[in-house]
Amino acid sequence: MTGAGIVCSIGRNKEEVWRSIVESRAGIAKLTRFPGETFPTDIAAEVTETLPKSKRLSRTDLLGVIAAKEAFEQASGAPRENAIVSTGTSTGGLLEGEDYYFQRRARGRRRARASRVLQQPTSGPSDAIARAFDLGGGVLSNATACASAGAAIGMAADYLRAGHADVALAGGSDALCRLTYSGFNVLQAVDPEPCSPFGANRKGITLGEGAGYLVLERWDDAIARGARILAELCSYGASCDAHHPTAPAEDGRGAEAAMREAMGDVAIDYVNAHGTGTLLNDSAETKAIVAAVGAAIPVSSSKSYFGHTLGASGAVEAVITVLALQHQIAPPTLRLRERAPDCPLDYIPDTPRPMALTNVLSNTFGFGGSNVSLLFRVGPAASRP
Amino acid sequence: MSVRIPITGIGVIAPGAIGIDAFRALMTSGRSAIEVVDRFDTDGLSAHKAALVRDFKPRDYIAPMKMRRMNALSRLGVAAAKLAIEDCGATLEADTGVAIGTAFGPVQTSVEYMQEYVEKGAALAPPQLFAESVANAPGSHIAIEWGLRGFNVTLTQRESSGLAAAMYACTQIAKGSVRMALIGGVEEANEMLFSVLDRLGALDDEQRNGIVIGEGGAVLVAGGGMRKPYGTLSGFGIARDTTASISDWGSDPQAILKAMRHAMKDAEIDEVDAIYASANGSRRGDAVERHALERFGKPVVPTKHIFGEYAAAGMLQLIAALLAVEEGRFRNVLVNSVSAGGGIVCAIVSRF
Repeated sequence: MTGAGIVCSIGRNKEEVWRSIVESRAGIAKLTRFPGETFPTDIAAEVTETLPKSKRLSRTDLLGVIAAKEAFEQASGAPRENAIVSTGTSTGGLLEGEDYYFQRRARGRRRARASRVLQQPTSGPSDAIARAFDLGGGVLSNATACASAGAAIGMAADYLRAGHADVALAGGSDALCRLTYSGFNVLQAVDPEPCSPFGANRKGITLGEGAGYLVLERWDDAIARGARILAELCSYGASCDAHHPTAPAEDGRGAEAAMREAMGDVAIDYVNAHGTGTLLNDSAETKAIVAAVGAAIPVSSSKSYFGHTLGASGAVEAVITVLALQHQIAPPTLRLRERAPDCPLDYIPDTPRPMALTNVLSNTFGFGGSNVSLLFRVGPAASRP
Repeated sequence: MSVRIPITGIGVIAPGAIGIDAFRALMTSGRSAIEVVDRFDTDGLSAHKAALVRDFKPRDYIAPMKMRRMNALSRLGVAAAKLAIEDCGATLEADTGVAIGTAFGPVQTSVEYMQEYVEKGAALAPPQLFAESVANAPGSHIAIEWGLRGFNVTLTQRESSGLAAAMYACTQIAKGSVRMALIGGVEEANEMLFSVLDRLGALDDEQRNGIVIGEGGAVLVAGGGMRKPYGTLSGFGIARDTTASISDWGSDPQAILKAMRHAMKDAEIDEVDAIYASANGSRRGDAVERHALERFGKPVVPTKHIFGEYAAAGMLQLIAALLAVEEGRFRNVLVNSVSAGGGIVCAIVSRF
């Protein structure tokens, strides 16, 4: 991995995001995106930076381009001709699709601006990023709900290994939209207060938005061109609960299978959990971690900082995981005043923990029971304690 | 690929054909399933034709209680998977993977959700519609129905979605992550999609050439199986035309040639007998592919005049190629999928 980029509610780039992490500063506040609309809850983890206006790109596309730019610039000199873009997104340009829907209701289908819907497809972020950086290797768009970006990163690694590409810009992006904000509320899956993953009083997720991208290359190619290697994406596991369209299997069997496939027989030092803050996820994931890794492993949920970035979460949290490896500091779980009885692990409460990190897992799970676990290993550039 | 992936079962819910035997008959009949749209109102639009699935009765494939929780895409996917699994004749392994492609996904479900959102309020829209508003709902229902715990992904790469799903599933089998996979595609023609593409001038009408929208569901069983395979998926290639805008096709045939050659190299073959072209009637898309095909100099087989573009997310084109190698018409064929936005996926289908 030779580049990484991130944008979310706690920062516009890696430096800002990591500063927020070490200062235990969350980015959760009153929802501002949809003025005049009433939802049962009213907080979110929004990207507050004003994005450039674009007639052709959706907000999800733009978030993706910002994070991809930071990643690609860091991987200075990565060849473009056989570079693929592998993106995960849950909603794509649904926000702009909603605008079109309202316009159509008001004006009728003949007078609404159909060009707005050009921004809607979930293939939009891949196409936008490939075009922004003139990449000729191919585009892949993964829409596997909240597991999308994790799957996109795994897919990119597979295609590098198989020789289908030489470089991959892999990650994901998602912008808040009305449908998802309303939808998670009608599922009663949103905490009215900032989420508290693994906590005794947890009531659900905090919805967020953002993007994360990694530049992946084959190890020998990166060495040969003199690239600085930030970390190694060693493997990944992918599984399905085959249980329920929206709820995880309560015994955590699918998550456990994904983690086992990712880690093989490698000893794990830390797990960046999916940790959404819902009753079912945190309990099931804890069982999976205990079964796959053991009960002594330090675990945390960075969603306590920037909420659940949905289809982008696998990539946003992969970048956090890589920053943790680089700095040899495990991020904490914020607002964990009291652990839940069904969540008995060491969740690194409140403050970052300096520790030796060599092999770490980053989990991402989604609707439909899709699970992805990514295994990262520390790179030569890490600042060992 | 290090191994050739046998296709041992096919399930098809297509315009003009339900089931593999009916689809085979459609492909050799000289008929087209394209007709005037009567499912939704096209008054005031320029285009009026589509390739729609007729006579599909989901209750013939899915229990009523389960069916009520599924949108049209999920019903198409589960029904096609049932047909494919019956066709393959084997019990699927528990770690079987699922890869589904869909170009536009649950557009109609999102529209229905937003109607409820407006009429009842953001807090009272139906949770069931929200659960089906994610593109991976069909893959999820398939996994639940047959207890499949391997990978489960959904690819949404416009016209190339079906081939992209096939590429991922075959890569996983070749890598050894799973021994079997279901590879599918689902697409639904609906008023919103039709009217938007019409307004953008993308559809075929009396004034100009363009796309005809198709729909349907199709699933392949890859690996395992009790019957002689239809054929094998032997190699894949991807590329991107850097001259493409984010919503239209580009003009560089070299990018298509690059993907085609990469697929052949991946399959370790030097020649193909024919090319199942992406050709969908789009002005720029057809032009750039035609330039590439001229340089390749092989017989070209178009299929989308029969079942339209997006039909089962492009899987029907792949199935047409599988039937051709099974029937002995060709030994190795290239299947092209060239997308708006510049994405290209090519596959090699070989005789077993």
